[in-house]
Amino acid sequence: MKGPADPIITLDHVDKWFGAFKALNDVSLAVAPQEVLVVIGPSGAGKSTMIRCINGLEPHDSGRIVVDGIELSEDIKNIQEVRRETGMVFQQFNLFPHLSVIDNVMLAPRLVRRIPKSEAERLAMGLLERVRIPEQARKYPGQLSGGQQQRVAIARSLAMHPKVMLFDEPTSALDPEMIGEVLDVMKDLARGGMTMIVVSHEMGFAREVADRVVFMAGGEIVEEGTPEHLFTNPRETRTRLFLNQIL
Amino acid sequence: MTLSAFRRSAATWARRNLFRAPADAVLTITLGGLACYVVFRLARFVLVTGRWEVIEVNLKLLMVGGWEAAHLPRIAVALIVLAGWGGIIAGLIHGRRVRLGAAASIGMSTMGRVVDLTRRFGLLIAAVIATLALTTSRGPGLTAGGVVVGAVAGRLFGGWAGARGLPRKVVVVGNLVLAATPLAVYLYLVDAVPLAMWEGFFFNVTSAMAGIVLCFPIGVVLALGRRSTLRLISAMSTLYIEIVRGAPLFVLLLLSNVALGFFVPASIAPSKPVRAIITFAIFTAAYLAEIVRGGLQSIPRGQVEAAKSLGLSPWSQTTRIVLPQALRNVIPAQIGQFISLFKDTTLAGLGLGILDMLAVSEAVTQQPGFRGQGLIIETLAFTGFVFWVGSLTMSRESQRLERRLGVGVR
Repeated sequence: MKGPADPIITLDHVDKWFGAFKALNDVSLAVAPQEVLVVIGPSGAGKSTMIRCINGLEPHDSGRIVVDGIELSEDIKNIQEVRRETGMVFQQFNLFPHLSVIDNVMLAPRLVRRIPKSEAERLAMGLLERVRIPEQARKYPGQLSGGQQQRVAIARSLAMHPKVMLFDEPTSALDPEMIGEVLDVMKDLARGGMTMIVVSHEMGFAREVADRVVFMAGGEIVEEGTPEHLFTNPRETRTRLFLNQIL
Repeated sequence: MTLSAFRRSAATWARRNLFRAPADAVLTITLGGLACYVVFRLARFVLVTGRWEVIEVNLKLLMVGGWEAAHLPRIAVALIVLAGWGGIIAGLIHGRRVRLGAAASIGMSTMGRVVDLTRRFGLLIAAVIATLALTTSRGPGLTAGGVVVGAVAGRLFGGWAGARGLPRKVVVVGNLVLAATPLAVYLYLVDAVPLAMWEGFFFNVTSAMAGIVLCFPIGVVLALGRRSTLRLISAMSTLYIEIVRGAPLFVLLLLSNVALGFFVPASIAPSKPVRAIITFAIFTAAYLAEIVRGGLQSIPRGQVEAAKSLGLSPWSQTTRIVLPQALRNVIPAQIGQFISLFKDTTLAGLGLGILDMLAVSEAVTQQPGFRGQGLIIETLAFTGFVFWVGSLTMSRESQRLERRLGVGVR
């Protein structure tokens, strides 16, 4: 880990049910500031559910989730506060198709943080430069490639100055040749000291920037450790079986 | 292209599209013959056998009913002002697109622009000219000219202002003036002739416009209400929608005429046109709500999730993300409903005893000089034609709107 500090995200014995199906089973996890965590596991393992619980997109049924000192509750004000601290990047990008690229990025700062238009424009252009597509600012999402759209989505999340970024399989909907450009942006972010939880099977990315890899299966955290440890010398049989399948 | 080459390509086209197989040939000849016959009979009726004096004599009655002749200039002024108003708004929108470099007609030639305008408004203009040919006074012609001048002047001014990007203060004041214009025009008209005396086609148009403006917010609120997680609100919206959709409009109009007395004392009961407009709005809102609900359902869940994850409030999620996309997705159905409403205003004649265009077109055949000659065919044909032109123009413009707003569709 990069720094000894209190965790910025804490999950404490979290359970989550979808009807009769238990999606998260007694999940406990602590993420330190500036830590980069990669979550792997078979589909249905609860990886997405876990990060969707962290910003309140899914309510959890029991246990505690604390983000930057704020405990998630049912209260909408409280959920909004946590969401302002956390950025989320989706598998399907979920850009707003009726707004131009720059308006996508400016929307939340203007509506939620109420900063003036000119300032929001400067902020948005700066972020688009950071994800390396300032020249697409006036286009609409439908006119961009998948990789470009995902980079806009990252810029859109960063515009709220989140302390934590959550990535839900950010490259699985992309054509192979576009994966690299998105991973490069994410690597920049990681090196810049952003706290990140990334659900992804990009092993190269995990090896290069992850401080810790978490393996989930059946709604539980089965094993966690450094990339070297987990990829080369996993303790659990389930981890080994899964790694054999995907490597 | 030489003449023989043209003949060859025409022959090829006909073979491919009309006579590909023996069955096609039979169909082409049968339907072609039928079409020619219908067109011939229609042309004969319009140009030869039709007795259009009844329209000529009663044109003013058909258009504005008993509106006092002394106050007719007010309608002319209103039309010219509204044409300029519409022109300014169209110009502002276009100018803004030019400023942002997104206008479709940049680089369109003058000729191209004329063709475009003809395609959009050609039918309307032709119908107006045909109607003007029936008039005996100079007023309508001058008004039509004024409308064209007003629209063009407004469009040029709006385009200029929109492309420049005016100072903020001017924009705020300008928007207020634009928003207040229709109300001002209404007050100017109603100051001369009370609403209860608005008749003829003028009633059909104004009541349709008022109905559309009123039903839109009600319909959107009902659609959102029906999807609300609050049970009571959702149940009330559903109840409203299903009750109103279950009743024929004509029955609602009759009820608004006779049953209102149960709820409201006669002294403050609204006039007939107001009742008609409220009924139109109530009725169309229910249908609009279902259309909008369809649009809301077409928005993927990820859109709301993205909005939520950015910390947008529920209000912003709805008004900035979901509604704009939902309403755009159902433009054709919405305009279809508005066209329906426009045509259904003719039901107010019989339902509420208002002298709308249809009622006038029946009444004039009972005049001393025209009685018992079967002139109802001519008057109904003319009324139907006027509504057809209006409906088709609306439908064309809606397709254009849909294409324009289609920018950035996934």
